[in-house]
Amino acid sequence: MSLLELRNLSGGYDPIQIFSHIDLTIEAGESIGFFGPNGHGKSTLMKTISGVLAPWTGDVIFDGQRMNRVGDRGSRRWRNFNYDVVTRRRMDPKTVARAGLIHVPEGNLLFPEMTVAETLAIAPIAGRGRGDEAHQLELVHALFPRLRERLKSKIRFLSGGERQMVAISVGLMGNPKLMILDEPTLGLSPKLRQELCQAVGQIKASGVPLILIDQDVTFLTELIDRLYLFDHGRISRKLEKSEIPSHDDLMAMLFGDHAA
Amino acid sequence: MSVESFLFVLSGGIVLGALYALMASGLAVVWSTLGIFNFSHGAFIALGAYIGWQVSNAEALGLGHVAGLSATLVVMFAAGILFQQIFIRPFERKDNIIAATVITTLAGATILQNAMLLIWGPRAKQIVAIAEGTISIGPVAFSGNDIALIVMVALILGFAGWLLARTRTGRSMRAVAQNRQAAELMGLNVPLLYALAFGLSAAMAGMAGYFVGSIRFINPTFGADPLMKALIVVIFGGIARFTSPIYAALIVGLVESFTIFYLGLYWAPAMLFAMMTVVLTIKPSGLFGHHQRTL
Amino acid sequence: MRYDPPFHLTNGLIPTVVTVVLLAVFPFVFDASYLRHLLILAMVFAIVAASWDLSFGYGGLLNFAHVALFAVGIYAYGILAKTYGVNPWLAILLSGPIVALVASFMVLPVLRLDGMYVILVTIAFSQILYQIVISQSQITGGTSGMVTLPMLQIDGYRFVKDGKIGYYYTAFVLMVGSVGALFLITRSALGRSIVALRDNKYYAQARGVSEWKTRLATLAVSAFFVGIAGGFYGSYVRVASPDIFGIGSLTLVLSILLVGGLGTIWGPVIAAFIIILLSESMASLGPWRDILIAILIVAVMIFYPGGLWGVVQELRELAQNMRSSMMARYRRGAERAVRQKITGIPEQMIDTAHGRIAVVDIGPSAQHAGPPILFLHGNSACKEAFQNQFAHFRDRHRLIAFDLPGHGVSDNGSPEQTYNVIAYADIAEEILQKLGVERPFVVGWSLGGYNALELTSRNPAAYSGVVTTGTSPLTVAPDDFARGHNAKSHIILAGKQYLTGRETVTLASHATVPKSDKSAFLHRNVRRTDGRARYYMITKLTVVDWPRQMRMLREGDIPVAIMNGDDDPFLNHRYIADLPFGNVWKGHPTDIPGGRHAPFFNQPEVFNRELEAFFEAAVKDRTLRRSA
Repeated sequence: MSLLELRNLSGGYDPIQIFSHIDLTIEAGESIGFFGPNGHGKSTLMKTISGVLAPWTGDVIFDGQRMNRVGDRGSRRWRNFNYDVVTRRRMDPKTVARAGLIHVPEGNLLFPEMTVAETLAIAPIAGRGRGDEAHQLELVHALFPRLRERLKSKIRFLSGGERQMVAISVGLMGNPKLMILDEPTLGLSPKLRQELCQAVGQIKASGVPLILIDQDVTFLTELIDRLYLFDHGRISRKLEKSEIPSHDDLMAMLFGDHAA
Repeated sequence: MSVESFLFVLSGGIVLGALYALMASGLAVVWSTLGIFNFSHGAFIALGAYIGWQVSNAEALGLGHVAGLSATLVVMFAAGILFQQIFIRPFERKDNIIAATVITTLAGATILQNAMLLIWGPRAKQIVAIAEGTISIGPVAFSGNDIALIVMVALILGFAGWLLARTRTGRSMRAVAQNRQAAELMGLNVPLLYALAFGLSAAMAGMAGYFVGSIRFINPTFGADPLMKALIVVIFGGIARFTSPIYAALIVGLVESFTIFYLGLYWAPAMLFAMMTVVLTIKPSGLFGHHQRTL
Repeated sequence: MRYDPPFHLTNGLIPTVVTVVLLAVFPFVFDASYLRHLLILAMVFAIVAASWDLSFGYGGLLNFAHVALFAVGIYAYGILAKTYGVNPWLAILLSGPIVALVASFMVLPVLRLDGMYVILVTIAFSQILYQIVISQSQITGGTSGMVTLPMLQIDGYRFVKDGKIGYYYTAFVLMVGSVGALFLITRSALGRSIVALRDNKYYAQARGVSEWKTRLATLAVSAFFVGIAGGFYGSYVRVASPDIFGIGSLTLVLSILLVGGLGTIWGPVIAAFIIILLSESMASLGPWRDILIAILIVAVMIFYPGGLWGVVQELRELAQNMRSSMMARYRRGAERAVRQKITGIPEQMIDTAHGRIAVVDIGPSAQHAGPPILFLHGNSACKEAFQNQFAHFRDRHRLIAFDLPGHGVSDNGSPEQTYNVIAYADIAEEILQKLGVERPFVVGWSLGGYNALELTSRNPAAYSGVVTTGTSPLTVAPDDFARGHNAKSHIILAGKQYLTGRETVTLASHATVPKSDKSAFLHRNVRRTDGRARYYMITKLTVVDWPRQMRMLREGDIPVAIMNGDDDPFLNHRYIADLPFGNVWKGHPTDIPGGRHAPFFNQPEVFNRELEAFFEAAVKDRTLRRSA
């Protein structure tokens, strides 16, 4: 049984559609990567997978369970009618997270006025890893020793890298079956970036499959089994690990020689 | 001005401040969690007073203060959740939630106000004083009721503060207030937390109504003035953390008390609004506020 | 300058004239003075709500002091006319500027704040006004208000006589004047700045809209009209009461605004009549009246946030959809012979994933010298537009053309799924596959050109070549859409959902030729086209993979020809000339002199000759090497 299956998934921010007709399957134990230009809908796709946005068409099937309700957006005939009252949400992020698909969004600001310790205390998800907090917490500390010193700090006083560490830790505390990391190294200094990349590698090594989005193909290639090139709201190419070219070749492939 | 009258005005200000703190904290809980302004808060205060009167007063059920306060607490918590489900929930995912809920909570206030008029009639009612007698501290005599009010308000606020800071549910509520999307992605039950926050706010409003009802007469439009005061306090102080409306409430209570003493009754509201407008124009997030909406 | 139709060209004229005439003759038909009283109130509240709409709906300023400003207008009238003995007419006129002045005090906090805080500050402002009114009892009468204000009269004729007919017509003139003025303002440069600030403050400022001037003007203008309304109301009810500051009147006006729909001006005007009549008819219910009105507001907000105006829009869309699909069904049967005469062959209906599509397939079984040709027509047109090409090429090629969904005699589609370039290309693929057509040339006109590029760029090797006419290829939508077209033209009509009779003629004339016997059928098809097809196509521009099309034009080995009228009014010719073309026939766009937007129709001989030459070159050598 495959771990995650997307069937004919489309979505966007009403009324503008961002991506359409995505079909994708991840088998158990596989990690995949997404690569593509900014602003072409990768993050929107991830938000739709994790239920923050309701899908316009199609299904998200995680671990054999359908995460969305049936029906699609086109069935809404009256433009001014508030369908949210009569129909329940097509997808609920809570259900997705509780099923074990954890999304660490891009540029996650978390809860600025809460301390790291408080945040980690509420991170374990009902029905997943609750009761095993101490063990989880130890793992997190082992992964990010830096955080141990900052447990009492409010998140708004943390640096960008530390925030990202907290965000990933929060995700790990939820005991994920599959974790979506959306540009975990966005806007970080090279040193911090390296530290985070290593941590992501350790997460992968500890047996958590990943959906990884990043702008660095070399980093992606180390960790994933398959790479999807994503542009203009579509998966334009699917590359097995052996077929992934170097960063420069990939850029040329995506943007043509003119971009180089 | 003599020391006695100064202390008298001061104590009056503190009692007012305590009541305002209770009203305003309830309002601030909803504002910071759901990001909306609840114009029914005044009607909740009136409803709490009526329920308290109904249960505790000798003319009605006559069960005494303990039963009155508990009934107010429970009924208002439930009423708050029900209200939120009808008037707020449909807009939770809309872009225009702020304007939409201003309108629905105003309409909700009209409904509650007229319903109270239909149920309890236009005649004014009063809850009997919670504590009798006076307590002398130095040269000034405080009424027992005032002392009881201050103590109970402190207890309630302390309990609410503990709830938010120490319990898992309270922390989750704060998390939702600060970043809804991140909270959702952590698997927190956001609709439930919203409902709880609204229930908590309504319960606090009900308590405030009970206390105000013991020092003023209750009528269906009784909530309008407390609502305006709570509004001033919340805007004036900002909603950076749970305690900011409490400080602001004390300032507002004292300013009001002293303005009435020196300038007369009519000038107090104008003075407060002017103070609020000045603070807003200079520091839009309020005296103790951050830019970030938090709890 | 963007195409900006005058009022008589937008569809609002006839209903408006009818309403105005009905209101004008009303007193001659009914002389019940109570009914007139209600209509006078409704007209006053129509002004209050419509002027509020300017700041609330158009300006996005959540200004909750508007009803308090109405009260200030009443008091201004009272103080001027009673205390100072100013002529009542002058007092009404002066109430406007006085209230505008009061409102401008709000501009400073409003500029500094946004969202929720504006609501709070304006509510606080109305409370301050209320406090001032009740505290200055020697001037305003305090909590008991002012009574027996002077009434309106001319030469001793008191307006309340003859069943209040004088007041009725004064209110009528004031309402028509104010609403008309508000309507003109929303369409003026000021109105556009107001909306621009609401939609994107920083972008608007970057484009030179002064925030404080615009905000000030918004508040002052909306306050001016509400002040006039207040002055008139004061002269009519002859009481200035502080109750108007209360939550009751705020809720009433708010319900008018919301039931009518925000940002529409007309909506609140219609709603004022409905709500006032409803509210007065329930006057005997006491507290229940307020409860019922509040429930109405909440129900509208929850279930139908668009309000009355939204209902009107949806009914209009429904009517247009029904009319256009009935027209298609009627023409499918009744005018079959006419179309058959043009194409020379019976059309067939093919079931696709997007409904039934009318297709002509000329010469499917005959042996032809050249590859098949697929013709894709443009926005608001039909397959018969290519009749001159059918005649010219039918001996040597198999020809296929079909009506897009929502066009011609095909079915209307679902707006979300069907009316976009991707779905159109899907349909074309499906039809080619069902008819068993292989390696066709694809000729696309205008919107059809985009469809042709989308279709061929999916799998260029499966097509013999692609021709676009009247199309400017895009890299980035919607930016290039704006750059590739001439903004001064009537291209805006191509995305407009509802067209008036005149706009229909304008669009058809610019897209093809002025109406004549020859082009009449194209003009007729504009009216048949489902307006949603025009509108939704625009909202789906972003999901099309435009760079793939551009890559194909730049690097692909499929033969491409770009043939535009050299006087095409819609296109930006320089933009097209500067595109990086690769395997394009002749290496540059081919201009057809005098072709306008439909060169194949206006200049068939030249166009067919060029097309034929392109086909020959493409068949001979796919890479179109410019060996010559």
